[in-house]
Amino acid sequence: MSANIYLHELRTRVRSVIIWSLSVAALIFFFSSIYSGFADQAVLINQMMSKFPPALLEAFGMNRMNLATVLGFYSLIFKFVQICLAIQAGNYGFGLVSVEENELTADFLLSKPVSRTQVLTSKLLAALTSLTITNAVVWAVSFGALAIFHGSYPYETGSLFLMLGSIVIFQLFFLSVGLVISLLVKRVRSVTPYSLGLGFGMYVLDAFSGMFGTSVLEDITPFKHMDPTYMIQNGSYDTPLVLLNASVTLIALVISYWLYIRRDIHAVS
Amino acid sequence: MNIFFRELRANLKSLIIWCVVLILLVLVGAAKFSAYYNNPAMLGILNAFPKAMLEAMELTTFNLTTVTGFYGIMLIYYALMGGIAAAMWASDSISKEERDKTVEFSLVLPVSRSRVVTGKLLAALVNCIIFVLVTWGVSLWAAQQFHPDQAFNKFLALEMAGMFLIELIFLAIGLLLGCAMKQYKQSGSIAIGIILTTYFLSVMSGMQANLDFLKYFSPFKYFDAGVMLHSGKLDPMYMLLSAAIIVVCVIAAYWIYNKRDLYI
Repeated sequence: MSANIYLHELRTRVRSVIIWSLSVAALIFFFSSIYSGFADQAVLINQMMSKFPPALLEAFGMNRMNLATVLGFYSLIFKFVQICLAIQAGNYGFGLVSVEENELTADFLLSKPVSRTQVLTSKLLAALTSLTITNAVVWAVSFGALAIFHGSYPYETGSLFLMLGSIVIFQLFFLSVGLVISLLVKRVRSVTPYSLGLGFGMYVLDAFSGMFGTSVLEDITPFKHMDPTYMIQNGSYDTPLVLLNASVTLIALVISYWLYIRRDIHAVS
Repeated sequence: MNIFFRELRANLKSLIIWCVVLILLVLVGAAKFSAYYNNPAMLGILNAFPKAMLEAMELTTFNLTTVTGFYGIMLIYYALMGGIAAAMWASDSISKEERDKTVEFSLVLPVSRSRVVTGKLLAALVNCIIFVLVTWGVSLWAAQQFHPDQAFNKFLALEMAGMFLIELIFLAIGLLLGCAMKQYKQSGSIAIGIILTTYFLSVMSGMQANLDFLKYFSPFKYFDAGVMLHSGKLDPMYMLLSAAIIVVCVIAAYWIYNKRDLYI
């Protein structure tokens, strides 16, 4: 860990972190503001829904979705927040070391008296700090917006804590998977297509699973590992899937270190 | 012409990856749909659901047990993928020259800046056309196992026209971003912002009646599969709106790129 690299990395990310945090905050705020109008209508729906046999509701994934409650509605917002966070974390992950090669600063950095392990550790910690700042903003804005807009409907904070608590695992997944992919390919020219592809790809996979039953293939998407509706319903994480997620993160990190230490980095000619 | 072919070659890998992902999406979807195909019990449940609930899940107006209804739901995913791909192709093909420090080289060639932009724009356009054709082909192929009728083929053609227009809109926006942004990194980030915002707006606009006006700001809502299924044609007002967005963005892109200071 080198303080200089860490601080430099943080400084280069300040603007990006501010923009992402503000956008996510705006997203949560605007979506929450339409809740009370929506809830009055949704109560009727839920009354009708309760008359259907549960097995059939399950087939459509509707048994898990309750838009009338504060948290049910929030879980919808949370899905969108997750997309943003996935792309942000993916951006940082894909760009973490590849940016040095693109901007031809890699040989400058690696000629410094620090080991590659130290370089990677400092960069990872800086990226994690940046993500945590956004995470903290999501926490604050979520509590604030729900407190303002929940209207006359009650909600329990326990499940909200669970959902918000899952963010850090979620971010780490995209950060480390992005990093390992960027090290596996020969050269990442542009970060955004990769992170958009990864983020949206995983989201579409998850959205799809809600629509037409489930299949094993969908268990690879973190949107499913941290499914907010599951947390609301069961009051806990889906432990096997979260463990799967965490182990993917760990393996990706280990492979990243292994690859980065051995990576052949072209010097500026 | 050389620029055009050079760009096509450079984008080939990206095009192949997008096509593979799309084919996977269609295959997974079709495998799941086969459980619903011609299942009257499912239809009964769907009809019994209140409209607002289905609306929230974007299931309105589609009879999920028919192949037409199934492809109606797929359109939003097609459009999302097409839009992202188009915006990335267009913005990246312009801004990558500055990123890779090759912009000086391409501009000392005996061609005007407009010709450079034209070559890149055409290459991205060809990519979009291929992407739509692949989508169309795979969808038709996957639908064969469900014995689609003539009406389905017409509806799918309509959907593909809608998808293509959405691609064109994002292509034009991406081109403008690539040409206008002073720093090459910004064009990608702003493209992400626009895609995310328009997608969220399209979801929001369906949720509540008084937020309906938001649909004008989201190209994903311009060619709604449900509306197309009923009317049997693309909405002329939205076609005009799309054409206006495309023309304005492309003209602005050329105009700005011709006079801007390039980052070397």
